Amino acid sequence: MELTLLAAALTGAMSVWIANRLLRTRVSVDRPTDVLVGAAAVGLLIGRLAAMIGAGVNPVMRPADILIVRGGVSTGFAALGALGVLAWTNRDRLPMALDQLAPAALAGLAGWHGGCVWRGACLGTASELPWAITSAGTSITRHPVELYAAVGFVVAALVTARFMDRPWTGVGVGLILAGAVRLATEPLRVSITGGPVGWYVAAIVVGIGTAVVGQRLTRTRPPGPSSMEISPP
Amino acid sequence: MTRMRRILMLVVLVLVAAACSEGTATGDLGPELATITVDEFEAEIGSSDRPLVVNLWASWCIPCRSEAPLLRQAHATFGADVRFLGIATEDSPRDSLAFLEEFQLTFDNRSDRPGAIRAHLGAVGLPVTIFVRPGGEILRTHFGVIDDATLALGIDDLLADG
Repeated sequence: MELTLLAAALTGAMSVWIANRLLRTRVSVDRPTDVLVGAAAVGLLIGRLAAMIGAGVNPVMRPADILIVRGGVSTGFAALGALGVLAWTNRDRLPMALDQLAPAALAGLAGWHGGCVWRGACLGTASELPWAITSAGTSITRHPVELYAAVGFVVAALVTARFMDRPWTGVGVGLILAGAVRLATEPLRVSITGGPVGWYVAAIVVGIGTAVVGQRLTRTRPPGPSSMEISPP
Repeated sequence: MTRMRRILMLVVLVLVAAACSEGTATGDLGPELATITVDEFEAEIGSSDRPLVVNLWASWCIPCRSEAPLLRQAHATFGADVRFLGIATEDSPRDSLAFLEEFQLTFDNRSDRPGAIRAHLGAVGLPVTIFVRPGGEILRTHFGVIDDATLALGIDDLLADG
């Protein structure tokens, strides 16, 4: 059973909840549940349409096939669609919203990678390290590369959370770390296509640019109220 | 959230309008695929001296369309060391050939119109991908659409065993 996306959604939602409870902060977005559910629904639809077009199926000619999600959802386009909706619904305070959601997105990615346990897809290149694990039906031991990535994304989420209150810096650091974690683990994956390495490099470059701009904005702005809204006791 | 509702309603309206569209017909595609029975399938995998990747598919199967480009790429990369065998399952010969032509799948393909091999393997749906060691021992069977990592891992295990 495919539980990876569910694990990712639960991890992301749980990270927002923990942040709300422990840090006593709240995401400064009106009706955050509506926004997140709406973004997820639109992202899912866009990801499904992208997967259909990629597979050579015309969604206009075969609209019923859109509902056959088992046929695949393009996670990249789904994420872009969901982010687009979030950006649109928070266009008046975009930097703040993105900075606050960046750690949750990274935690969600940790859950997505950790979901490999349920679908038996954690394995990478062959290895004889003590923690290497065997693939079904063979004696070959392999790196649990997706678990490495999951741990990397947990660390990335914790680091990014420290930059949540600096405009554009949180999202910049999040992009850098997301690209870095995927890039660092990519050589340990077995792949026919080689993986979207170019996208990881692009994420790092865009993240550096965003963080640099964010730092300059922080320096040039006069001190004002923090973007984090502290809940009353 | 009013704007969000409007966007969602617009998407639904577009999809409903699109449901009124019609498909297009395909042209003459030449000779049919050779057929294969369960006994012939067992003999085929048992006599293979190379690792074998068997893929059960159909042109009407949407997940099969998703994975077809990956199989083409895997065949291009590993075709010298691993044999690829496709089995068009419960599919019309004409549609099967159109599928192969559309995705430019050039490896060996056969037709199992009654779906006997799928039933023999205990599979409920399509696609199914089977990794077979030389001599016919099935290393792994993957039910459902296969992704890059799973296909690469199966082939890597076959080659490492070999």
